[in-house]
Amino acid sequence: MGENLLEVQDLKLYFKVKAGKVRAVDGVSFTIKPGEKLGVVGESGCGKSVTALSIMRLIPQPPGEYAGGSVLFEDQDLLDVPESAMRKIRGGQIGMIFQDPMTCLNPTMTVGKQIGEGLRIHLKLSGDQALKRAIALLEQVGIPDAATRVNSYPHQFSGGMRQRVMIAIALACNPKLLIADEPTTALDVTVQAQILELINGVCSEFGTAVMLITHDLGVVAGMTDRVVVMYAGKVVETAPTGELFANPRHPYTLGLLASVPRLDEKRHSELRTIEGAPPDLLSPPPGCPFMPRCAFARAICRTMPPLELVAGNSSHLKACWVNVTDPNEQAYADRRRKARLEATQVAISTSADVTLQQTS
Amino acid sequence: MGRYIIRRLLQALLLLALLSVGMFLLIHALPGGPEQVLFNPRLSAAGRAAIRARFGLDQPLYIQYLKWLGNALVGDFGFSFVTNQPVSELLTERFPATLELFSFALVLALILAITIGVISAVRQGSVTDYGLTTLSYFGIAMPVFLLGLFAQNIFGVWLHILPVSGTSTLGFTYDPFNAFLDRFEHLILPMLVLAVSFIAGWSRYMRASMIEVSKQDYMRTARAKGVAPVPLLIRHALRNAVIPLITVVALDFGQVAGGATITEGVFAWPGMGLLFLDSLTNRDFPVLLAMLMISAVFVIGFNLIADLLYGVMDPRIRYS
Amino acid sequence: MDISERLNVPSTGEEIEPFLEVTPQLVQQRRSQGRIIFDRFIRNRAAIVGAIFLILLFLFCFVGPLVTTHNQPDQIHVTDVAQTLAGPSWQFPFGTDDTGRDMMARAMAGGQVSLLIALISMFMAVIVGVSIGAFAGFYGGIIDTLLMRFTDVILSVPLYLLLFVLSASFTDGSPKSVILLISFFGWQYAARLVRGEFLSLREREYVLAARTIGAKGFRIMFRHILPNAAGPIIVNATLLIGVNIILESVMSYFGFGIKPPNSSWGTLVSDGQGFFDVDPLLLMVPALLIFFTVLSVNLVGDGLRDALDPYMTER
Repeated sequence: MGENLLEVQDLKLYFKVKAGKVRAVDGVSFTIKPGEKLGVVGESGCGKSVTALSIMRLIPQPPGEYAGGSVLFEDQDLLDVPESAMRKIRGGQIGMIFQDPMTCLNPTMTVGKQIGEGLRIHLKLSGDQALKRAIALLEQVGIPDAATRVNSYPHQFSGGMRQRVMIAIALACNPKLLIADEPTTALDVTVQAQILELINGVCSEFGTAVMLITHDLGVVAGMTDRVVVMYAGKVVETAPTGELFANPRHPYTLGLLASVPRLDEKRHSELRTIEGAPPDLLSPPPGCPFMPRCAFARAICRTMPPLELVAGNSSHLKACWVNVTDPNEQAYADRRRKARLEATQVAISTSADVTLQQTS
Repeated sequence: MGRYIIRRLLQALLLLALLSVGMFLLIHALPGGPEQVLFNPRLSAAGRAAIRARFGLDQPLYIQYLKWLGNALVGDFGFSFVTNQPVSELLTERFPATLELFSFALVLALILAITIGVISAVRQGSVTDYGLTTLSYFGIAMPVFLLGLFAQNIFGVWLHILPVSGTSTLGFTYDPFNAFLDRFEHLILPMLVLAVSFIAGWSRYMRASMIEVSKQDYMRTARAKGVAPVPLLIRHALRNAVIPLITVVALDFGQVAGGATITEGVFAWPGMGLLFLDSLTNRDFPVLLAMLMISAVFVIGFNLIADLLYGVMDPRIRYS
Repeated sequence: MDISERLNVPSTGEEIEPFLEVTPQLVQQRRSQGRIIFDRFIRNRAAIVGAIFLILLFLFCFVGPLVTTHNQPDQIHVTDVAQTLAGPSWQFPFGTDDTGRDMMARAMAGGQVSLLIALISMFMAVIVGVSIGAFAGFYGGIIDTLLMRFTDVILSVPLYLLLFVLSASFTDGSPKSVILLISFFGWQYAARLVRGEFLSLREREYVLAARTIGAKGFRIMFRHILPNAAGPIIVNATLLIGVNIILESVMSYFGFGIKPPNSSWGTLVSDGQGFFDVDPLLLMVPALLIFFTVLSVNLVGDGLRDALDPYMTER
């Protein structure tokens, strides 16, 4: 067995729609080592969740369709194994937590049964054993009075409690990998930290590897070892967490980091945003998908840059032609940003004039 | 929850009270009401008075109503104009046959509707699904009495394989086993007709409900746990999808009762429906009034049960 | 100055890519609301088949007697008893009944009665329903409560039982009495719909605004509400035609609706049911006419519902 627990290579998953193919995941590659905690970051719709679901083969086909690549889990290609073997891996080897705990639990089944279901399938436990283990798990994820709560229904729990139940379900069979798909997005801010803490603690204890999907860079900074940045169905940069925050090399990562409000900045300084919207994945622009929004863009960007090692660093990869640390490039980018701002203002004032003329 | 039940019960009682007044007035104030039915034009004045007194028609309407209501509450619905039997006795006589037809048809319809709905939903968009949908369109457009007539003529008159009316073959004596078989043979057609008339609508509802449920996030959670397709369908999808169907079925009680009446009429099945139709022809108002009220009690009761059942089946409502 | 010119900031001489997102506006082809609905309906093949069948049926029942010789439904054409109950022939495509009358003429005449009853009852029910609903929704309070209780009471008795009791007492076998009775059972849905729309619109700003400038509230609301409620009412009205045809035929079949000398599809079924072994057409012709009419009406109704559904987006 190689050193990697999970090795995703050039994974492509397209959705067939009437108008063509939506390239939701378009050549994604990354690896997770046993016990490692990997963060996957990107805007909504950049293919993070679809990547996770396609690793689990939970994308309904049709409309989903694997267009290439491989998902090696313990050196076994998950895209090749029969469905019955895949079912043993789901829940048994890889656990998954979803975004919205309000809708992800079956409303007509007690939480104990829902936790026990995986145990009975994968560990062949009897009903009694499964129930006992479910109680233990509930205690482990911090639910008080677990012995009575085990017979409650999901609607009797708060959002944070339900997410704890989801964690118990995902970790019930002691999987080697936990995929957490935006586990805190739907929760109160006060609860988010607790849930992350819990995932972090429990997984460290069991030695479970984690793939944490989020759009929140703060979440990634706190608990992951390494970060994959995704944009428009592609990986644009990946590096150890500290390195990525200290030394971002892709313009998109730069934009993401700049758009996080910081306490050490001047109070009323303007918050930087990434202008524009992600491309339509039905007909992505040729070349680098970030080019239309990129201040560093140039002619060569019309061809897609490969995901390559950053010079002088053996664990930092980026997919960009430009060296964003070059002061010349930065000056160029600043000019373009200014020009763009002006152009937008002109556009707004022009249309305002037109409106005025029409009304008068 | 307790307060909710009490509130619903009070509402139901109020509705029933209103209904009883309405039905009583309707029966008595109608042209061709009891007064006209009972009296032979050749009767002497004394004879009329005697009959009036006999049926309490000499008293003011509200006294008649209160008396009727008081008696009805203890199960006494007066005497039939036609047979002079107590109405309650007539009803009890006819009740078992109706219950038999009704429950067999209901169970059959539910089983088939759920099965068809699940198959259509699982094979959504397939030829099977389209075929079943087309059939259900036909089923919805087919009035019960026509369905009954077709079944009668095709299986009875034409193919001669099933009896088409009544509950038993006349003029034969059977040992208990064959008597049972004979009765069951007589039950088959009316039961099928009554069931089929509701399968179409219910199976379409079930299909929609299954499709809705299969889109839910918790189905994905279950698949992520490694649950196999069949347990997924039964443990996770079916239960959540059947809950709304049960409510719909309970709310459809009035229609099922109407359908049963017509079916009994077509197949001369000697239940309450046939009694109702006979009483209509004979203008036997005490019987009609009793049956209208009893059916209303059932409809309102089933509406109530539908609400409560929803609570039992769906824990979200049970405890909140 | 042109925007694209300003975007190309003169600089180091290196080629500069303009931001691609400044693209021309999406040009959208616009169609009128009615056109969209019509297009959607036309694309629904089942609904079109239903609509065509209904048109042909109307021609058969109402124009047929004028242009063919099948216009004497009560005339006894065959007096020889051996010749009655004849199967289809060139002279009598649907055969003759037990007294030697022309079945095709009878089917046409019965169809006129059945269809007219269904249509007129539908119109009456919709008009009554819209009026009552508007009245209750506009005035609210006690009138509204009474209306809703009344609807509850009617809905609490199994439809057929109440219908039969009423028909046994009220109807005299004429189409007029049957129409009155059937329309009594059809107005509740439209009433509830219009009432709901009125209740929600009563407090809207523009109605209040219109009132402050002295406009008559009721009239304004009516003009705003009818377009809003029109879709569901039209669908309901269409389906109501099918329901009415069934109600009429059930009543007539059991002898509580249309009675001789009048006849309808329901009475034809009742007349023909005894002769299935000799002449199945006597039963099948009116029965299948009822069935296919109801089926077509339902197809058209469902097609209209889909076409009028505001949640269905064009792709």
